[in-house]
Amino acid sequence: MDFIDSYAYSNHLRKVEPVFKAGLAGSILILCLLLNSPFVGLAAVLWMAGLAVWLASIPPKVFGGILLAEFGFFLLATGGIAVSITLTSPVAIHPWRLHIGPVWFSTAPQLLRQALLVISRVMGCVAAMNFLALTTPMTDLFRLAQQMRMPDTLIDLMTLMYRYIFVLFETMERMLKAQQGRLGYATFKSGITSAGLLATRLFLDAYRRSQQLQIALEARGYESGNLRLLTDSYGADYRLLWLGLAAVASLLLVWMMG
Amino acid sequence: MKPVFEFRDVSFKYPNCEEKFALQDFNVSIPAGEKIAVVGRNGSGKSTFFLHCNGLYRPWSGEVRYRGQPLAYHRAALRQLRQQVGLIFQNPDEQLFNASVFQDIGFGPLNLGLSKEEAKRRVHHAAEACGIAYLLERPTHALSGGEKARVALAGVLAMQPEVLVADEPLNSLDPWAQLAIFDIFQRFYDEGKTILMATHNLSIVRYWATYVIVLEAGRAVFCGTPRELLTNRDVLDSTGLSRVWWKVDLDYPSEQKSRDEQ
Repeated sequence: MDFIDSYAYSNHLRKVEPVFKAGLAGSILILCLLLNSPFVGLAAVLWMAGLAVWLASIPPKVFGGILLAEFGFFLLATGGIAVSITLTSPVAIHPWRLHIGPVWFSTAPQLLRQALLVISRVMGCVAAMNFLALTTPMTDLFRLAQQMRMPDTLIDLMTLMYRYIFVLFETMERMLKAQQGRLGYATFKSGITSAGLLATRLFLDAYRRSQQLQIALEARGYESGNLRLLTDSYGADYRLLWLGLAAVASLLLVWMMG
Repeated sequence: MKPVFEFRDVSFKYPNCEEKFALQDFNVSIPAGEKIAVVGRNGSGKSTFFLHCNGLYRPWSGEVRYRGQPLAYHRAALRQLRQQVGLIFQNPDEQLFNASVFQDIGFGPLNLGLSKEEAKRRVHHAAEACGIAYLLERPTHALSGGEKARVALAGVLAMQPEVLVADEPLNSLDPWAQLAIFDIFQRFYDEGKTILMATHNLSIVRYWATYVIVLEAGRAVFCGTPRELLTNRDVLDSTGLSRVWWKVDLDYPSEQKSRDEQ
């Protein structure tokens, strides 16, 4: 999570108006869902990887690594679509079969095609989301949500939660180290006890922090209502716009040809 | 010199601790335009005192005056007071609520009702003054302790206060980060403004402060210049400060030797 966050803040598309990046990722996502050809997903992955690497200067290893991890995960999930496992002889439409002991593994070309479609569709969507996550910091996405008229209360909550995830995480790490330093996790039993204590302490700490937060916000002139957030203005990037339109057009083209 | 704050017979208890007064018959007059060190052990009422300065706590009895006027606790008056009196917390994580440094510093100015352009100008100006302009693009959680402390300070300075009230701001900062904070404080003082700082450090009381307040058990037991405090044997002994500040001198009056040398 941490390294994705750091690329979001340091990539070359950081200063581009978030609506461009979110618009591109969103349209690719929708196209991947609408157009049912396995080549559309593949094209989307290539486009997103290319734009992330060339325009945003995300190292290819990073983009590829994240994608590969997700691919492994979805491969397991789509395995169930492609191969059916039964205890009796499989139905006649499954021409390819293999039986080991009492278990039958069987599949058919149409099942494989369907699995391929699902995984390419999912990978296309995921690549689009990765592109957005790696090029746009959370705070910019909150601002985008604000522009899209999401309720202010929700945005305030997200703003505070996003910041305090890191504070809570730091606190947890410190407490965990302190417990480990006093052999809190030396045996399985003491480990369970320590973990329970840690959770309790974290909860109390979070509660105390929420009260301090109230004081600190009021000290700077917060009156009940909404957090007023200052937004920075970013530039438009027409290179990204044209390349994005080209990506959309090429996905449509791939779909019509396939 | 006209006082910036006057506390008259202020008493205060915390709702969850009814048996003990956090401040009791607290009387103090704080001169304007000074660097004031506030000294006292943990639980002596320093933080409670500071939170009264900003109108965050309201005395149970007695009154607080700011520039001669009793504090009013309605919304408009509090907004004005909180613009004038900036509060800096011991732990910057308590103050920094936003993952964007830029937005966090801009929070106070926007609450003052300033326009977006003016708020932005204030953010850049405060960031410049605190030497953190290079951090505006970074997320809060990626900053070091010293950087967080300076961002928190910038968030308060962006409101252009007349008084800074800092509750042990140097705790857990390394000496280099402490120097950076002192530099910012000094420029603030040079503009004729007032700083209150809670501290336990003798050097700060002796060489930095121009006025000292000593708290004990919810009362102000001494107000005066550092020279007056350091020559007031009674106060130093009764509060234990003589022992605290000169313990090393008293117990180890000469250079120590390593075990090999002995």
